[in-house]
Amino acid sequence: MDAILEARGLTKRFHGLVAVNGVSFQLRRGEILGLIGPNGAGKTTLVNMVSGTLAPTAGDLLFEGRSVRGVPAYRRAHLGIGRTFQVMKPFPGMSVLENVAVGALFGANGGERNLERARAWARACLESVGLGKRIAQRADALGGPDRKRLELARALAMKPRLLLLDEVMAGLNHVEIEEVIEDIRRVRAQGISILVIEHVMKAIKSLSDRVFVLHHGEKIVEGGTAEVLSDPRVVEAYLGRQRR
Amino acid sequence: MRAGNPARSAARWIALAAVVALLAALPWCGNAVLVQFGISALLLATLAQGWNIIGGYAGYPSFGNSVFYGLGAYGVAIAMAQYQLPFWVGMLLALGLGVAFAGLLGLAVLRLRGHYFAICTLGLALVMTAIVSNLPLAGGNIGLVLPLLGNAALFYELALGLLVLATLTVFWLARSRFGLGLIAIRENEEGAAVMGVNTTLYKVLAFMLSAAFTALAGGIYAYYITYIDPAGVFDLALNVKMIIMAVFGGPGSVLGPVLGAFILSVISEILATKVTSVASMFFGIVIVVAVVFMPRGISHLVAHVRQAGWRYFVDNVRAHRL
Amino acid sequence: MALLAQIVVSGVLLGGLYALMALGLALVWGVLNIVNLSHGALIMLGAYATYFLFTGAHVDPFAALPLAAAALFAAGYLIQRGILNLVIRGPMFNTLLITFGIEVILTYLAQLWFSADYRAINPRYAGSSYTFGGVTVPLVQALGFAIAIGLTAAMWLFLLHSRTGRGIRAAAQNLVAARLYGVDPKRIYALTFGLGAALAGVAGGLYGTVSQINPYIGGPLTAKSFVIAIIGGLDNPFGVVVGGLFLGIVESLTALYVGPTYRDVASFGILVLVLVARPSGLLGRTA
Repeated sequence: MDAILEARGLTKRFHGLVAVNGVSFQLRRGEILGLIGPNGAGKTTLVNMVSGTLAPTAGDLLFEGRSVRGVPAYRRAHLGIGRTFQVMKPFPGMSVLENVAVGALFGANGGERNLERARAWARACLESVGLGKRIAQRADALGGPDRKRLELARALAMKPRLLLLDEVMAGLNHVEIEEVIEDIRRVRAQGISILVIEHVMKAIKSLSDRVFVLHHGEKIVEGGTAEVLSDPRVVEAYLGRQRR
Repeated sequence: MRAGNPARSAARWIALAAVVALLAALPWCGNAVLVQFGISALLLATLAQGWNIIGGYAGYPSFGNSVFYGLGAYGVAIAMAQYQLPFWVGMLLALGLGVAFAGLLGLAVLRLRGHYFAICTLGLALVMTAIVSNLPLAGGNIGLVLPLLGNAALFYELALGLLVLATLTVFWLARSRFGLGLIAIRENEEGAAVMGVNTTLYKVLAFMLSAAFTALAGGIYAYYITYIDPAGVFDLALNVKMIIMAVFGGPGSVLGPVLGAFILSVISEILATKVTSVASMFFGIVIVVAVVFMPRGISHLVAHVRQAGWRYFVDNVRAHRL
Repeated sequence: MALLAQIVVSGVLLGGLYALMALGLALVWGVLNIVNLSHGALIMLGAYATYFLFTGAHVDPFAALPLAAAALFAAGYLIQRGILNLVIRGPMFNTLLITFGIEVILTYLAQLWFSADYRAINPRYAGSSYTFGGVTVPLVQALGFAIAIGLTAAMWLFLLHSRTGRGIRAAAQNLVAARLYGVDPKRIYALTFGLGAALAGVAGGLYGTVSQINPYIGGPLTAKSFVIAIIGGLDNPFGVVVGGLFLGIVESLTALYVGPTYRDVASFGILVLVLVARPSGLLGRTA
């Protein structure tokens, strides 16, 4: 089985508090892997370790068969790892087009050096997520759903081989969720492997080939989407959260 | 990144070229006081433009740029006074000292953000006087005397040339991949890193570029003034001036810092001759008023005040008050 | 050995004063997230207030301290209410810059009113000192040290146990929560800045009794206060005391063994080293 991303016992401790504990998983080339779990389960911490903004306390991470331990975030972007942020991090003072152009200029393999070509590619990415009409606006003038689309376009502009989507659907309505699901399908059709973190179960069900579940920083279940979602431990983890 | 109307942008270039030509002709009007004032205003504008690269574009508010200025001044002074080398060799030394120091310093302190970076560079600016005062090569706290050239027009043209070079560099920067990377760092450093910007390298390069213009300005100043001492050229007040001029004019814009430097130089010169007691407080008052009412500087004000009128100032206060 | 003991004692006495200087800066920084670059200028004003009460009205410098504190409290309260509250939600750099502007204005107002001459507060007992086993302790410095430590402890108790103190701590944690708690942020911010300024005022009065003053002492004192706050962290006043003592001792040792001109180099060398090694401060929380 050809894994594009493999985690081996990834662990992150913050001052004695264990956020992620010995998590191992494989993401196969071309697949969409769902990652679910209650709030505070360590999902974003895990994504941060994959994208390189957090260094793991222990464990190893392999991208396309090579360890990326100690490789800084920008080099991982050059290798082909793109991500979105749950708490969105656009460049507020830049235009929408410039926001995405940064991804095109600096992304995979160091990005496109030619400014005009980078801008053209950025425009194409924005059109593919339905933001084609907003390219001249300032990023901080966008509303919530458009910001989510901008996050996606920025990551796509990097021409990643692996895309980490951290709750791109939170706060969207049903119609918008359907649109984003379609966007993600199109991305996968281009051969990009995807890790989807999502609370919107409909999206997980319709997108993921496989799912794994984090709870209190540990992987509790992994497998096919339908069987995982009906697993009693998963139900308990989520119900436990709701009861609180 | 804006694609402007080509006819208008050509007109703008011609107007700018005319302004530069007029400025270049100024020494021939024969007014020595005016030339003297011009040299100081041009050097300050260069400093503001240099600060603009690290402070305005990369978003790292450096209080240490006066160190590069001092190093540049000492580079020229040491070359000319201690080794009797020609001026241009001194300028090379100035450039080398400033850029190398910025590189080393940058690697250490550009990892710090916000307050920490600002105060760390501030602390460094404060100790440089003490360090240089203890160096025999730099003449200790007595300072160094350079040969007298007595050609003010030449220094004026040199300062103008350096300012034009700095401004053209920033113009290029604002439209380049490098510049866009710097702006991305300013807007959101973590976001820039995961999108592939080598943030450390870019910040250090920006710091070095900023230092290059600052050090060269210091070098010109040293030869022009012919006598320098540590307290005079490692002067934190100079750093304050460049920041205020850049912020007043519009940090992160191409012409704002130059405009800010010219406007504030003229006003402070008038105040210094008319009401001396207010003149020294002038820059303090400018910062307080500018930060409250027009935090994005003159260039943003000019672009937006026509639409918004007085509401522009009210809106700025509304946006940031408690 | 006696010399070393003397140096350490002098360093400790100086350090107590440093701690008091930094306390106000750390309070404002921790609660308002403003690094107040005019802090040193406020210390300078406190020194002048004490000086003029002493020379003009013949008030004993130590008796003048509460008056200096009250005057500086009022000044600080007004600065926060009138100016800083207007920009506090803006970018960090704006608040940093505006306090720098205030520092410039205060410095030159002082120069205008008080002239640039060096002055010193010299009460009759300025020269008296006690000697314990070969180590000399000047009376004025010992008194200053006691006041500095006492005020730090009082500050700690105030923040922990008084109603206003709890309001300040609530505002430091979360402004929205503080509002729900019934705290008026405008007032509590102004109170906090006023308190910071009052502490600076007392520190300035004490500084004037051990050192010469002029309008320009503010800048380096701000930077030193910052160094101490960095070493000690913003969580608790006793961290600031540790930072102050540490800096006082290091400066005294440097002055003796390396040379007096290197005193400031040592303190800022420490600043750079600490920041580079541990950007969140030596004793502070890691972010």
